[in-house]
Amino acid sequence: MKQTRRIVALVMAGMMAMGLTACEGSSGSGNTSDSSGELTVAIWDTYQEPGLKEIMEDFTAQTGIGVKIQVTPWDQYWTMMEAGATGGTLPDVFWMHSDQAAKYAEYDLLLDLSDLIASSEIADMSKYPEELVKLYQNKDGKQTAIPKDVDTVALWYNKTAFDEAEIAYPDETWTWDTFREAAKALTKADGSRYGTVFSPKSNQETYYNLIYDWGGTIISDDKTKSGWDDPRTIEAMEYIEDLISDGSMPPYTTIAENEPLALFESGKVAMCMFGSWQSDLFSNEYVLANCDVAVLPQKDGHRISIYNGLGWAAAAEGSNTENAWKLLEYLSSGEAQKKQADLGVTMSACQGTSDGFIKKNEPFNLQAYIDMRDEIVIRPYSADTVVWENMSQEMLVKAWDGTRTMADTCQEIAAQMNDSLAKEQ
Amino acid sequence: MADKKKTAEKKQRNKEFFWGWVFFAPTLAGLLVLNIIPIFQTIYKSFFQVGAFGRGNRFVGLENYLEMLGDSQVWQSLVNTFVYAILEVPISIAISMVLAALLNRKIRGRSVYRTIYFLPMVAAPAAVAMVWRWLYNSEFGLLNHMLRTIGLGSINWISNPNLALVSVAIVGIWSVIGYNMVLFLAGLQEIPGDYYEAAEIDGAGPVRQFFSITLPLISPTMFFVTTTRIIAAMQVFDVIYMMIDRSNPALPRTQSLVYLFYKYSFIESNQGYGSAIVVLLLLIIMILTVIQNAAQKKWVTYN
Repeated sequence: MKQTRRIVALVMAGMMAMGLTACEGSSGSGNTSDSSGELTVAIWDTYQEPGLKEIMEDFTAQTGIGVKIQVTPWDQYWTMMEAGATGGTLPDVFWMHSDQAAKYAEYDLLLDLSDLIASSEIADMSKYPEELVKLYQNKDGKQTAIPKDVDTVALWYNKTAFDEAEIAYPDETWTWDTFREAAKALTKADGSRYGTVFSPKSNQETYYNLIYDWGGTIISDDKTKSGWDDPRTIEAMEYIEDLISDGSMPPYTTIAENEPLALFESGKVAMCMFGSWQSDLFSNEYVLANCDVAVLPQKDGHRISIYNGLGWAAAAEGSNTENAWKLLEYLSSGEAQKKQADLGVTMSACQGTSDGFIKKNEPFNLQAYIDMRDEIVIRPYSADTVVWENMSQEMLVKAWDGTRTMADTCQEIAAQMNDSLAKEQ
Repeated sequence: MADKKKTAEKKQRNKEFFWGWVFFAPTLAGLLVLNIIPIFQTIYKSFFQVGAFGRGNRFVGLENYLEMLGDSQVWQSLVNTFVYAILEVPISIAISMVLAALLNRKIRGRSVYRTIYFLPMVAAPAAVAMVWRWLYNSEFGLLNHMLRTIGLGSINWISNPNLALVSVAIVGIWSVIGYNMVLFLAGLQEIPGDYYEAAEIDGAGPVRQFFSITLPLISPTMFFVTTTRIIAAMQVFDVIYMMIDRSNPALPRTQSLVYLFYKYSFIESNQGYGSAIVVLLLLIIMILTVIQNAAQKKWVTYN
């Protein structure tokens, strides 16, 4: 009796230990493509879902092809996609991002659209920003996705806070020095308001822009060398270090626990840089009552915005690639692109379709986002962007909370990033 | 005559054998597909450098393991995992044992209390972690709001590297108390009532009864709960993943081995290294379990 119990206990313990390793194989169900002809479309942004749904309904009305949108939050989206790609169950149509596009293209997971585009009367890549089109081409120059939108960064500010501090609102005359002074003046000693907030996590929205303003880089053009040890990159990052030591940002623990968006929307922070995809701002009551948006400050005549754009891609081995292409073709049409902007979903990638985006989101001065398109740099990427991007974000925490100097941190990031770039080759 | 009896017996045994397997087969199939095959695949993968999407594997022998030996992050995570287990397991067992003993008495609304304590077990772990994350928030959280109302300062529950793991363990303890309690309740009800009657006649008070009768007789359940809880605590992941952000300064001091496994296998698509980490964890859990099985002779009483 005693012996049996022991054996049972041991076997059960073993099973539970094994259960741990089992999770590797069991994720990724639930996004199998539907054989009934209905297309599964995967996206990660809840705020864009209602608008996209309307566009998809138009598509269904025209073609009779049903579309089902699945929203998975960004952090889990790529885990879901990775599992889907490994198991051969990718959604039919999905959003692609510059962080990941090269990797998916390299393994031929994306439907090759080149010939389809060439023989299409609707899809016309010349109407899209060239670099954005190039972003979604694989090494052989084949198009693997259609540009969906384009995003830039602008400066949001809390008018009430500016009025209280009796400072003029930000405008195109601002330099980063003006910004630093304003951030100091807007900060209240009792900790109830801070001038600004930059998070190590929001690279595209904050420090990448400054780095290029200063003339630095993140990655070399041939994607083989890190720019983190470029003196101008370090200088730009040290400017942020100054903002932190000025006390113009909340303590790092607050930044770590709260998204910049939450801090800005609660009035805790007076100035914040946000990408044009942050559509939550456009409908937030507090923001509507108190805030507006302006172009970014400049440095020596340079006012650079990092830009990026999502792509619509289809699974190469999907069960109904024909319908998937029909949807992509429709989404690339001027009609769908214009509607995306008119509905206020986001700035569309196609030329001349963004006026609606501004009109829809009045009274905000969203023209700032359009103006920021004058001098733009594509969001830095390589074949395996996530690895070094996540590494740099984790590494920067130490510079932010003051346990390490910014210059040392940047050097270390450069060294590790060069290692991981070498592995990509 | 004797021969005939033997054949009948044999037939009977064959039949039992057949039906036994019929009932066993679904479980076996599940275990094979979901547990046993993946475990060998994981061990196999740990000797490879696995390309993205599980393609382009390259045999690297022990390279992943050697890299792991020199990776301070892995060792720190191992320490974190142990600290978590040392916090969670004894405290949760102590609390749930006391609760089970209390709820085993005839008190009014007993089943309501039992249900309430069991509820956290029913809620999705991710949802539980999200709610706690908000309670803990240093700026807008309810806990700090209460602290400030009574005139105390704010506490950085989940961003103070020295405190974050404790905060995570509190959530772990809170979530698991109900489940442990139900197991203990079942164990308590196995204990014959006459033992207590006899003890009462001999003049033993409730505390004496608890230590002299309840504890020894519940030791088999205690052994089961301890073993399974240690295994589960060593695998802690979801609470940490949901509560501790990538930019949280407490991350290095809270990430567990499974967290690292997830990071390498699923975020950075470095499945070979991830597999090596999880094989290390598997070994540790096995060793712990073997030790516990050997040690149980000293303290577990089987009637």
